[in-house]
Amino acid sequence: MALFLTKRFLQALFVVFAVTLLVAWAVRLSGDPAIMLTGGAGSVTEQDLVNIRNALGLNRPFHEQYLGFLYGLLHGDLGNSFVGGTPVTQLVAKALPATLMLAAAAIFVSIALAVPLGIRAAIKRGSAEDQAIRIASLAGLSFPNFWLALMMVLVFSILLKWLPPSGFDGPVSLILPAVTAGVINTAANVRLVRTSMLETLSAQYIMVARAKGLAERVVLYKHALRNSAIPLVTYVGIQFGNLVAGLVVIERVFNWPGMGSLAFDAVAGRDYPVLQGVVTVFAILIVSVNLLIDILYGLLDPRIRTE
Amino acid sequence: MLNRFSRLSMAAAAAALVLGTAPAGAGGRLSVAQALDPGTWDPIDTFLVDWSKVANNIYDGLIQRGADMRLTPALATSWKVADNGLSIRFELRKGVTFHNGEPFDAQAVKYTFDRLLGTEGGKGPQQSNYNVIERVEVIDDHTVNMVLKKPDPVLLIKLAGYGAMIVPPKYVAEKGDAYFNTHPVGTGPFMLESYEPKVGIKLKANPNFWGGAPKLDGIDFRFIAEPGTEVAELQAGRLDIATLIPLSQIETIKKQANLDVLSVPGPTVVVLRFNTKNGITKDENVRKALIMAVDRDTITKEILLGQAKPIVSFQSEISFGYDPNLKPLPYDPAGAKKLLAAAKVAPGTAVQLDIRGNDSTFREVAQAVAGYLQGVGLKPTVKPYETSVLLNDIIPAGKTGEMFHTQWGGWTFDFDNTAYLMYHTGEKWNPYDSDPKLDALLEKQRSITDQNERLKLLREVGAYVAGRALELPLYNLNTFVGINKRVKGFDLPGDNRYRFLNVTVE
Repeated sequence: MALFLTKRFLQALFVVFAVTLLVAWAVRLSGDPAIMLTGGAGSVTEQDLVNIRNALGLNRPFHEQYLGFLYGLLHGDLGNSFVGGTPVTQLVAKALPATLMLAAAAIFVSIALAVPLGIRAAIKRGSAEDQAIRIASLAGLSFPNFWLALMMVLVFSILLKWLPPSGFDGPVSLILPAVTAGVINTAANVRLVRTSMLETLSAQYIMVARAKGLAERVVLYKHALRNSAIPLVTYVGIQFGNLVAGLVVIERVFNWPGMGSLAFDAVAGRDYPVLQGVVTVFAILIVSVNLLIDILYGLLDPRIRTE
Repeated sequence: MLNRFSRLSMAAAAAALVLGTAPAGAGGRLSVAQALDPGTWDPIDTFLVDWSKVANNIYDGLIQRGADMRLTPALATSWKVADNGLSIRFELRKGVTFHNGEPFDAQAVKYTFDRLLGTEGGKGPQQSNYNVIERVEVIDDHTVNMVLKKPDPVLLIKLAGYGAMIVPPKYVAEKGDAYFNTHPVGTGPFMLESYEPKVGIKLKANPNFWGGAPKLDGIDFRFIAEPGTEVAELQAGRLDIATLIPLSQIETIKKQANLDVLSVPGPTVVVLRFNTKNGITKDENVRKALIMAVDRDTITKEILLGQAKPIVSFQSEISFGYDPNLKPLPYDPAGAKKLLAAAKVAPGTAVQLDIRGNDSTFREVAQAVAGYLQGVGLKPTVKPYETSVLLNDIIPAGKTGEMFHTQWGGWTFDFDNTAYLMYHTGEKWNPYDSDPKLDALLEKQRSITDQNERLKLLREVGAYVAGRALELPLYNLNTFVGINKRVKGFDLPGDNRYRFLNVTVE
């Protein structure tokens, strides 16, 4: 078991290392931050650009810059933003909770919509209602997220004036982005709930439950839903990573100060440290979650840890 | 972060929701959106216009320039140029204090420029603008002498902004640069209330401002990078001024009764420059033919929806050096065809336009230009580049096609800023051409401080360049913002460096 854990841990470490190296290398292909910083300035000479590059540490060879980044990372320091010199850890510490909050709210919206709709479609299988739900969810899946976001803003912020169109002014600000991100994921989840519900409903213990004379509501929600929820929970876990990636667009449209907005600005401004920081933090998060799951599987299934 | 979700903010948000407007105090608060958070409020660290939108309210220079583009006294009450333009003596305003209570005096001026021109300033993009300053000498508490390495006719304008904003010496020395970046202190009409990186910055009125207290209680700047989102916030009544709005939304905004769009000529001018070294554009007559082939009036009217004006030389009409008497080549496709035929350019000859690919408006313009060129029998292709690649690798290395997109615009509105870098031999942005006569003109106007003489020389540069057809002049873009009509007393400055001293909200 110790060998298994060590192996998994070293693998995880290697993945994080590889990601940071790849990002550090790739981001430096994207253009000169000194030019971006002086953008449009007529009087900037080549010497000024050299001075700025020196001040940013970009004159050092790549391996030195990268080792410096790794050294900082091990000490909990992700460097300073090229734009304004704010420590990256400070920016991430503000943006990460905002993104996680939005992601959690989006998942909540998605489940709250998908479960009742999926069950309804399953018990009315083949009916017009089932068709309607399936077509609607297919439509939901097909929406480009930015378009949906704009439509939501148009209707709920500009026409009805119910909700703020953007920003971070308290719980009301969470509603539009969460619903937008949630609706897009709902489509897939409705189909998942429907399928797994259909499977469960044909199981023998449901027949038994009905034969006992239990109310249909109890059969559905107490016996069937609990069992058919397992694939949904697994799938939502997998969705989480994709959801966070998709939030980049949603965050920008709703001006949500999360990791997506941070990454977006960093790409536009060639802000290497911020971009490296954001990607590294996500890499560590996702690798850690996977490592945890690997360990859990190992604990549950002896065959895996002796592989 | 969670403390933002306090009951107070909920209540405020709910109130804002019900009223459909931002909550207002006695003098009221103005809410302004801008695209970017410059990340630092230190004058020597940035070149972003979005820095100036905010910081022009926090700091003062020795001189100031308002929306009317006139230079007026600020922290200096008067100044005198001496020694053939090699020194400037400033009499400083008395009784002025910084927001932290520190007195403003000659030492503060000296400290500001020592810092700008020293190692600290060398880390940022501002130093290059002020390199002409040799040193600042303190004469007495309220007099300084600025010694220059050589005359710089544009320096007085530069002292009205950016790197030349006066900073408090004790405060910066005690608190350090990193702290100063996020906690700016100046002498201006508004002072820092709070700054939340990537979200916004709030300013409050400085009751002790030397020019009289501002009428507003405060200003809330919000960073909103998506133009559509700024418009939505404006339409929802949660924003007073949206500074980044898409051209296509201007009519939508104007249709809403409580909103308006303000528009003035801006600093940005756009041209397609020619490769004068290789290919068919080596020939001056071919270049003239290409200019005559394109109907620039229609482009500004149809694609830029009137938010731009055709230009003749590479500057706007508010630029120093603009010549109202300089006439453009006419739109004349038949004449263009004749010139091309005379130059033995065969129909179907390829012409490549290198453009910045991320500028969707200009992509449309380039397509239109390509269409016109096709109209005179050429075979144009539009080649979009990543902006930084075009600026870093393609233009300076002289690897462009026949024509390449250049847009320029300094906040100084002085043609020197553009002309020298575009046309002088050996400059980074001039990879193809070398013209001793043009070099001489450009050098001469830099060496003299007599502004009338300079104006004449700069006009001569403009006419000479137009005569040689070094570029296809396109247009000067307007500066425009969406505004709620409850805002009164706001003059939109073309350079977007706002000063909200006399603004009120209803």
